[in-house]
Amino acid sequence: MSDLLEIHQLSVKLQNKVILSDVELSLQAGDILGLVGPSGCGKTTLLNVIAGFIEPCSGQLTIGKEIKVSADNMIAPEHRNIGMIFQGYALFPHLTVEANIRFGIDKLSKQEQAKRIDPLLDLLKLGELTQRYPHELSGGQQQRVAIARALAPQPKLLLLDEPFSNIDARLRNELMIEIRQLLKHLNMTAIFVTHNKDEVFTFADKIAVMHQGNILQTGLPSAVCKQPGSWQVADFLQLGSWLPVVVQVLEQSNSLISAIGDFVLEKTPLKNDPIAEVHSDSIEIEEFIAGSNQNESLQLLIKPQFIELCKSDAPANVQVEHISITEQGYHYLLSSLSRDNCLKFDQLSFYTDVLLTIGQQIKIAIKSHDFVVFSNINP
Amino acid sequence: MLKKLIFTPILFTMVLVTALSTSLMVNANDEVNVYSYRQPFLVKPLFEKFTEQSGIKVNVVFAKKGMAERLAREGKHSPADILLTTDISRLIELQDKKLLQVVDSTNIFTAIPRQYRAEDNTWFALTTRVRNIYSAKRLGKIELNYEDLADEKYKGRICTRSGKHPYNVALVASMIAEHGEAKTLTWLEKVQSNLARKPQGSDRAQVQAIHQKLCDISLGNSYYFGKMLKDVNQKQWADGVYINFPNQANRGAHVNISGMAMAKYAPNAKNAKALMEFLVSKPAQSMYAETNMEYPVRVDVKPSALVASWGAFNADVLPLETIAEHRKLALKLLDKSKFDL
Amino acid sequence: MAPVLVMLFGGISASTELFTHLWQTVLPDYIANTLLLGVLVVLLSLIFGVTAAAIIFHTNVIGKNSLRWLLMLPLAMPAYLVAYLYTDLFDYAGPIQRALREWFSWQSPADYWFFDIRTLPGAALILSLVLFPYVYMLARTAFEQQDQTLLKASRTLGLSAQQSFFKIALPLARPAIAVAASLVLMETLADFATVQYFSVNTLTTAIYDTWLGYGDLAAANALASVLMLFILFAVIAEQKARAGQRHQSHSPDKNHEVALLNTVQQVFACGFCWLLAIGGFILPFSLLIIMALEYSDVEQLIALLPTGKNSLEVAFYAATITSFIALVLGLYRRMCRDRWRTLPQQISGFGYAIPGTVLAMAMLATFGPLDHWINNLAEIAGMQEPGLILSGSIFGIIFAFVVRFAAIANGTIESGINQIPHSVDFAPPSLGAGLAKTLHKVHIPLLKPSILVAWLLVFVEAMKELPAVLLLRPFNFETLSTQIYQLISDEMLEQGALGAILIVLFGLLPIIFLNKNNEKKNNKNIEENT
Repeated sequence: MSDLLEIHQLSVKLQNKVILSDVELSLQAGDILGLVGPSGCGKTTLLNVIAGFIEPCSGQLTIGKEIKVSADNMIAPEHRNIGMIFQGYALFPHLTVEANIRFGIDKLSKQEQAKRIDPLLDLLKLGELTQRYPHELSGGQQQRVAIARALAPQPKLLLLDEPFSNIDARLRNELMIEIRQLLKHLNMTAIFVTHNKDEVFTFADKIAVMHQGNILQTGLPSAVCKQPGSWQVADFLQLGSWLPVVVQVLEQSNSLISAIGDFVLEKTPLKNDPIAEVHSDSIEIEEFIAGSNQNESLQLLIKPQFIELCKSDAPANVQVEHISITEQGYHYLLSSLSRDNCLKFDQLSFYTDVLLTIGQQIKIAIKSHDFVVFSNINP
Repeated sequence: MLKKLIFTPILFTMVLVTALSTSLMVNANDEVNVYSYRQPFLVKPLFEKFTEQSGIKVNVVFAKKGMAERLAREGKHSPADILLTTDISRLIELQDKKLLQVVDSTNIFTAIPRQYRAEDNTWFALTTRVRNIYSAKRLGKIELNYEDLADEKYKGRICTRSGKHPYNVALVASMIAEHGEAKTLTWLEKVQSNLARKPQGSDRAQVQAIHQKLCDISLGNSYYFGKMLKDVNQKQWADGVYINFPNQANRGAHVNISGMAMAKYAPNAKNAKALMEFLVSKPAQSMYAETNMEYPVRVDVKPSALVASWGAFNADVLPLETIAEHRKLALKLLDKSKFDL
Repeated sequence: MAPVLVMLFGGISASTELFTHLWQTVLPDYIANTLLLGVLVVLLSLIFGVTAAAIIFHTNVIGKNSLRWLLMLPLAMPAYLVAYLYTDLFDYAGPIQRALREWFSWQSPADYWFFDIRTLPGAALILSLVLFPYVYMLARTAFEQQDQTLLKASRTLGLSAQQSFFKIALPLARPAIAVAASLVLMETLADFATVQYFSVNTLTTAIYDTWLGYGDLAAANALASVLMLFILFAVIAEQKARAGQRHQSHSPDKNHEVALLNTVQQVFACGFCWLLAIGGFILPFSLLIIMALEYSDVEQLIALLPTGKNSLEVAFYAATITSFIALVLGLYRRMCRDRWRTLPQQISGFGYAIPGTVLAMAMLATFGPLDHWINNLAEIAGMQEPGLILSGSIFGIIFAFVVRFAAIANGTIESGINQIPHSVDFAPPSLGAGLAKTLHKVHIPLLKPSILVAWLLVFVEAMKELPAVLLLRPFNFETLSTQIYQLISDEMLEQGALGAILIVLFGLLPIIFLNKNNEKKNNKNIEENT
């Protein structure tokens, strides 16, 4: 299948500030892409560039076969055949639900309009609300109207800007699944922006992580979680906690030294890790073997499932700082016992069914797995 | 709390009122208060002279509209002593509403001829003015009666200010007295159809329009002619027209007055009487004649040389009360003929 | 409010005989003229104001920053002054037609055609030139406060920027525009001096005729009441028409894109805005300055100072009291739960539609008896009679201003109050603060900008207002407007040009301030959004 959306070296400046630089992105027809990143990273700007509200200063943007946008070939939003759902839904307050949905297709004949609107009303369960005004609807109803309105003109691409942020947490999951099914049913290609990674995992086929005007990594959510390409990706997706480590180069083997113990690197595991090779801020294993980065503080990603609690009689290496209760059992934040060196930490996440008390000192160990290490600057 | 909120502004205004009113109260004895329909700069020199002679200070408030209402509402607490007006109807209105008091002064009686004061001596004329017809010099010297304005040969050649202006209403009232209601209406309708443009502007603006060849004939009071001749810019307008005294072969030219009266509850009646006597005195009458170009009511004071040069004329002897009497009917006829529309 | 009621009651006792006469003769024409004038002025003001607001807000028109505030300046010009200047300018005897005649050596009016300024359309045009800034100001603010995502949504649904403006931005700005239109309508219908210069006869002419000509104040009151009901009807009809719509937005997006104009559009947009600014302010103001330079000197200026001080004083008191009352009424409406809480505010707004002189008469009718009562009381108490302390002092004038301009202050402060979230009402009591403290510490500080705006608007209007002062003022009391009026009515404006300039300048100060305030707010918004 060919790509429906292709973005190549796209840059945007607003008031002499670089908002997006050299963005690359492609999306296949029928896919739902979740665009995540911390606020201010440029994800909404990217959405606005795709929609046509912001002009790129360089690069190309292709939607389907006909729409080819570049800095000197701007195409107005109304000619891009794109549907958009806004954060506050942007329903027209002076129009009824029906008039809102009809808004984009009122040039069509009455029969044609009905043919498009009626199935949407059915699918979105809006049949009884057609004569109401937006302010008379609940948040979920408003959102369904916004979706119906955006879909009525049968756009090629649907853009959703934080569509679930105003929805009750309890209803959110249900609604996301419902809408995802609808989009899949219509084979709609969509990009949705959020700052909530959980929404991506529920709603999207693919994920793209943005940071400071760049897309850091694109891929299937599972792949990205497994092999985050950079510290920022791993940190934003909250894949685990950070354990400061230094590398010790020995003759037979290399090891990582941390406040809770040393991990021997029997082989050179990171060398085979594609991410370690591709991304600049992860460590080239050859480099620290060569000893040039010896004693430099590095960050080891520790996913909670790789931490295990040792027997209680073992000499402790961490102390419990904070306790909360989650559906996965107790969640503890642990701090290192040694406080005066560069390896100290105080926010290591750990889940267990065992009840501990604050201030209790315990011993934990890290299970052996493929270590992911980044030379992070400021954890 | 809310009560407090509402009472605060009331309290506030009360304080303000007392502060303001005490500062503005006019109570002193060597003063006289004038409600004037006439513009202050016309009468100011006279008042200054009066103050100089008598030491009595003159306070003036000027308004063209609603003076009579204000006086009536103020009732016996009104600070007004003297009323100055420019039209007979207003004097009669004040008289009818019983807002005036009788003034008994031989000085005034001897100065003002019988027909220029109220029978009950509540009001007195100070000056008279003629409602003249101005005609373009390019027409040559012509004799005109008010009745001629209805002549078809003047179609599209007549200019006038609003028919509802008191000067024109008084003229129409005099026509009713002469010709009766029906004929006056026909006359009005014909004059209206002869107008070069919708009634607008002042009397002077009509002479200007003649100068600009917009029309040939206009209605206007006599003193405006003198004032225009004395004005650098307006002299050329006046130079282009003759001032005609209408109806010289029959009843005479229509005359209106400017006048004075004493308020019924005048707090400074003595001073007011002094001011009234001053206004009909020879020096004051001469000032009226010289500066305002009006005809003084005193027979022994001559009009200014300029005004005299326009020639003597016969004035309509119709009693002023009759004019005032027909005023409402005149207004109705003006409405009926849609004169201003 | 009381004077309005007095006027209504005064109208009830009107005789039918005079009405029959008026009805059979001129009244139908007057009413037709009034309706036509009202409709024309409102239409023209809407076209001028909304178009200008749209151009300034939605496009990249050249000179945008200057035009933004230049277009508000006509507010500072009293309508009667502009009317006088324009009739003078375009009259047959005026300089323009004279120059044309000389140029083409035409001899008489028969030789050429030139539009007649002293007609109903002429009057409507000039009134609109002075009144359109109300529409411009409110429409622009409405556009600025709209949630821009609505326009974006419309664009993604296939409508062009222009179509989106007409289908979204304009309908959403309708409440604000309607308020502006009703202000314009009230000003127009209550106007007497301006239409008089244009020799256009309207219902106000009839009011003055019946009162001054026929001496029938009751009938005049009745006519004034009819006029007021007419306005009331128009306002209610408009409100009904948009019942059921409510506008809301969670977090309005104020970042808006600006339409880029091509050369031809730029020329038209630019020309349109500049013509409005020139016609409404620059040209008449220049005429005044030329007159002043020609006829005035420093001595005249010094002589004007006490008069100017009177004007400032009256305007100051009027603005302060009006704003204060509006604030109390606004807070009352917000804080009280009873069914009639909106009533006092609404009724007090009607004063704006009453011609100044009629209002002055109603004032006399209201305070006259009160004054007599006070004096009688003093007499009984054996004290010195205080005289006419209410109707015969500046108090009367200030009170008349308060009644007349309540609508302006109410509107401004009410919109300020509406911007305070309701949650704020309940927060302080939950912290143990009483109503007084809540209002004092929370609402009033939050409302400061609105109070200031209301104060300034009333101040400007009070500086310009004429008929009420003319009739109600005490002895030897002149304001700038009464002085100018006297000179105008004797066709000697040249002598009063200096005073007129002062009025305009005093009017400019608040407008410039308003604009600065507005810009600061906008900048803040932009900062918050990036």
